[in-house]
Amino acid sequence: MQITCTINGKIHRFDCAPETRVLDLVRDAGMTSVKAGCGEGECGACSLFVNGRLVNACLLLAPQIHDAEIVTLEGLQEETAAIRESFAEHGAVQCGFCTPGFVLRAYDYLSHGGERSEEAIRAALDGNLCRCTGYKKIVEAITKVKS
Amino acid sequence: MNYLRATNLGEVTALLEEYPEALLLCGSTDAALQLRHRPETATLIDIHALEELKGVSAEGDRMRIGTLVTLNELLYSDAVRESLPLLAACADTFGSHQIRNLATVGGNIANASPAADLTAALVALEASVTLASQDGERSVPLETLFCGYKCTKLDHELITAVTVPLQTGSWYYRKAGMRERLNIAKVSIALTHGSGGFRISGASLGPSPVRFRTLEALLDGGVYDDAAIKAALENDADPSGGYRSTKAYRLRVAFNMIKEALSQPEER
Ligand SMILES: Cc1cc2nc3c(=O)[nH]c(=O)nc-3n(C[C@H](O)[C@H](O)[C@H](O)COP(=O)(O)OP(=O)(O)OC[C@H]3O[C@@H](n4cnc5c(N)ncnc54)[C@H](O)[C@@H]3O)c2cc1C
Ligand code: FES
Ligand code: FES
Repeated sequence: MQITCTINGKIHRFDCAPETRVLDLVRDAGMTSVKAGCGEGECGACSLFVNGRLVNACLLLAPQIHDAEIVTLEGLQEETAAIRESFAEHGAVQCGFCTPGFVLRAYDYLSHGGERSEEAIRAALDGNLCRCTGYKKIVEAITKVKS
Repeated sequence: MNYLRATNLGEVTALLEEYPEALLLCGSTDAALQLRHRPETATLIDIHALEELKGVSAEGDRMRIGTLVTLNELLYSDAVRESLPLLAACADTFGSHQIRNLATVGGNIANASPAADLTAALVALEASVTLASQDGERSVPLETLFCGYKCTKLDHELITAVTVPLQTGSWYYRKAGMRERLNIAKVSIALTHGSGGFRISGASLGPSPVRFRTLEALLDGGVYDDAAIKAALENDADPSGGYRSTKAYRLRVAFNMIKEALSQPEER
């Protein structure tokens, strides 16, 4: 089937089977910040925005993004600069696999006026797993993002 | 795979008449994983963009919730927080932010999982579901929709909306799982207590979501005795034992939650 959508502002057309995961479509289109982690909606490494909402690309099927506006970390370089700097400054990155997902969630949270308390940030990160950092530095980095 | 996109409700019911076994595609948080096991055989009817199945609206002393309303829309709806706080509390324990942006009310009900949190909460709130088919619409109490493990009585039908009486009296909602957030319930308990008495339901405490009627009658009669509560729970609940937890564990946690609900319910 034919799927048309915009990814980071550019129109993309795909000819694919309806059961194709959005995760695979966007990675094949070159957006490799979207990571294939658990594949089951648990880890958030595949997070991306669809029409302004952060969702798991591993659970979404191709038809669900027809005519939609997709945004990945590649399309939010300027908007996330302060967050990425804060992650680097606070050592909130080890292997880096989970980082794009965390940065997008942090951006989503902060741009909706999310509270900067540790408790609220930990709760907001309920859909992102990290196997390396122990979260302490990630939470600290998000608390201290310069606005 | 046979993929069909519906653009209005009439098209959906016509397609369901033709393909009663079809999967409806909404948030796909359950369906995506099911489909991976059988993509060749499946027919998919995509309803995710149907505006007529979205939105929350007050209708007198009830709230009408469109089937495509997401868990985050419930959680952040002022009307729901105000008039159905138990539902908002349930949504707050549900999945993760990303999952709540996808998962729909209708999908949680239709999937008929014994662990479905929202379904259990809606049963305790005495919600009804509106079902549509080629023959028109009908409304049934949600509790009567189920016929066992992952089984519904939907017959060439889809759920178009859920209607819920606005909450009065006190209530309690609690979920226990492996992690504090993102988890499938090992056990959850939803309870309301108003002029009509106690209404109690729970997730992972039976093959399908049920009301705990023996327990309700006991508490309505003013008996709060531990042994009697335990016996009533054992009568009403039929949890499975599995790799995630044992039957005895689930019953014990449910008992503790009921005790907690009786000593410290939320008031409204
Ligand atoms: C990581 C993860 C965490 C989760 N956490 C929770 C949790 O905490 N609590 C919980 O209860 N569940 C949880 N779930 C399960 C799931 O997210 C929910 O059941 C969700 O509400 C399903 O909605 P959906 O729109 O994604 O359904 P879909 O996957 O689109 O559909 C599910 C099924 O329902 C049918 N269906 C959908 N809508 C209708 C309708 N209107 N009428 C008739 N049939 C219909 C479909 O045909 C399909 O068979 C979780 C899932 C994942 C992957
Ligand atoms: S890969 Fe999608 S949530 Fe883990
Ligand atoms: S830094 Fe390795 S998974 Fe998070």
